Amino acid sequence: MLRIEHYSKTYPGGKKAVDDLTLHVRPGEIYGFIGHNGAGKTTTLRAVAGVMDFTEGTIAIDGHDIKKDPVGAKRVTAFLPDNPDLYEFMKGIDYLNFIADLYDIPADQRTADIGKFGDAFELTGNLGSAIGSYSHGMRQKLALISAFIRRPKLLILDEPFVGLDPSASHLMKGYLAELCRGGSAVFFSTHVLEVAEKLCHQIAIIKDGRLVKSGPTEALVGDSSLEDVFLELEGEK
Amino acid sequence: MKKFLTLLKVSIQSMLLSSTNSRGRSRKKAATGLGAVVAIAGLGLYLSGFYSYMLMQALAPSHMEILVFIFMGMAALVGGLLFTTFAVKGVVFGGKDNDLLLSMPVSSTLLMASRVTAIYLENLLFSAFVLLPAGVVCTILTQSGMGHSLLFWVRLVIAALTLPLLDTALSVLLGALVAFLSARVSKGALGQNIVTGLFLVVVFYFSFNLNRMISGLAANAAGIKDSLNWAAPLLWMGEGILGDWGLLLAFAACCVIPFALVVFGLGRVYRQAVTAFAARSAQSNYKLSAQSASSQKKALLRKEAQRFFGTPMYFWNAGLGLIMLLAAGVASLVMREKLLAFVGMEGFPLLPMAAAVICFCLCTCPIAAPSVSLEGKYLWILREAPMPGSTLLWVKAGFQLLLTLPCTVIAGACISIALGFQLWQGAALLIATLLFAVGHAMFGMLMGLTFPKLDAVNETVVIKQSLATTLAMFVPMAALAAAGGLYWLGSQTVGWAALALPVALLAVLTAVSTITLAKRGPAMLRAL
Repeated sequence: MLRIEHYSKTYPGGKKAVDDLTLHVRPGEIYGFIGHNGAGKTTTLRAVAGVMDFTEGTIAIDGHDIKKDPVGAKRVTAFLPDNPDLYEFMKGIDYLNFIADLYDIPADQRTADIGKFGDAFELTGNLGSAIGSYSHGMRQKLALISAFIRRPKLLILDEPFVGLDPSASHLMKGYLAELCRGGSAVFFSTHVLEVAEKLCHQIAIIKDGRLVKSGPTEALVGDSSLEDVFLELEGEK
Repeated sequence: MKKFLTLLKVSIQSMLLSSTNSRGRSRKKAATGLGAVVAIAGLGLYLSGFYSYMLMQALAPSHMEILVFIFMGMAALVGGLLFTTFAVKGVVFGGKDNDLLLSMPVSSTLLMASRVTAIYLENLLFSAFVLLPAGVVCTILTQSGMGHSLLFWVRLVIAALTLPLLDTALSVLLGALVAFLSARVSKGALGQNIVTGLFLVVVFYFSFNLNRMISGLAANAAGIKDSLNWAAPLLWMGEGILGDWGLLLAFAACCVIPFALVVFGLGRVYRQAVTAFAARSAQSNYKLSAQSASSQKKALLRKEAQRFFGTPMYFWNAGLGLIMLLAAGVASLVMREKLLAFVGMEGFPLLPMAAAVICFCLCTCPIAAPSVSLEGKYLWILREAPMPGSTLLWVKAGFQLLLTLPCTVIAGACISIALGFQLWQGAALLIATLLFAVGHAMFGMLMGLTFPKLDAVNETVVIKQSLATTLAMFVPMAALAAAGGLYWLGSQTVGWAALALPVALLAVLTAVSTITLAKRGPAMLRAL
């Protein structure tokens, strides 16, 4: 579903944020991307989502090269940044319809999905209010709903658990699993190692822009815990 | 004091960075920004100097120089009020750094004072640009040697420094009212638009009356001075500048006391005011019904419309020209007789003047220019959407055209009928003004991409103070002046050249802007 080959990103000034990253996410997989602050996780996720340009390597989503066919790649993708800022002048329902229009989602399908996810995240009643009046958690939920109604083949999430209450986090994990059972894939970054260990089929650990370890969660963790593995790789244990 | 200066520096830096784009990506861009600001300042000084000169020429022979200072003081007061009232909501009460700064160990009065001082500095610019040229003109034109004394300049500077205090106090109070209404009224934007509309009606009514007074000045200057008792502080300012220290002191007190009351009064409740103005709780009574789908372009256009009409700051600053266009069209029909009597003199260039009026109104509608910067933190939404960057650019420029083209056609048609243009003249007027409208939208879009301000602390900074908006207004005005020059050149040769040359210039500028936007726009958008 996602093929990242020899991807590198150098910022103006010469700082190499990501160096020669190769990583594959298969359909049906939840892939966790772990690393310390500034390791290059967000830079990678933004490049995969087609939000940020890069110079070296290739990134393909469901066969669409993000550089050569960005519209094709984005059509099957949903991306949520770590702090999703949404149009404050819009009502929640207007925002969902705006996103649905951009992704050509038919009227009946969007009505059904907005109802399903809105009710699940207990946000349907608030959809008539301006986003400017939402709390941080409500905005996070709205952003998640806007991602789920796209029924993406690849869902890219940057720190998705930050700002969500425990029940919303639980719900989201359930929907991520449901999405993957339908043949889609999830690629997300997190600092919550316990969640990553329980949720992910595959995990990649990145340090200073370079991939230091990746593979199936069980094989990576072995008899210890993901926290131990991570700290060992970071040289802090 | 140190804390106050630090806070003030942050506010001023934010204003200056957006005005000059000096944190741009290259020195060239920063220099362009600074150059534009200097050019606009020069234009402002020229205009106020010109009006002061006209007034002084009429009044100096009857020793009524005082009226020049009173009228220019009124102009500074009204101009400053118009310019800063709508900035108050964003700069004083709605800064995105409110949480950060209010959590710091500084008193809320100090924070409020630093922000109000930033507004004062903006008003000070107005005051200095209007009163100091009047002083220069007074020095040159009066025979009494009034302006040759150092004390005259000391008094003038005192007046120029104190007048903006009154302006600031009034704009902060009005701005607080606007912010309060936005937070309290469920249709906040509508309420704010109504208040703004009423405010502008009052300002325009006042300005038209001022014009009437000025036109009768030379004949009855003393009578007009006597009738200005309602503006006693400005009368005292005029007397003060001309030598009465007691009245100058009274005027200064009239400015300082309201300013101090506003700063210390509102400062005591600043934290509560910021909280109240920002507090909008989400309602939970929405019932989901069947939704309807539309195309990508329609969705993007609807978003632009929601932002434009739902953000009073944006609507009134970038859309006032649209209202002026429609008003000019309707007024030309309603006051046809007066208009014809005014412009009916032999050799008056009716057609180019009509085109100039319409194009000038269009210049004051920079709708596309700030729209890129207004995406700011929301840009990720459009970047991850499955559409080419060019779609977004054409929709943004197209939204401006959707508003300006119909208004241009209506105004053009009304003015053509009112002035009794022949069919070819009406067609020429429409072609020239529609070309200008298209070029203005494309150029504005290019300016938005060239001088983006994606990290602005509030929308005021983008809409009112950004370099993109400023250039999108004044460069087309310069193009308009060049077209006027070509009309004059053409009229010196053969008749048809007088119309053909300016239209050709507008066509070339429009084509260049459109082609540049088509070729370079998407790459510029990607690079943001």
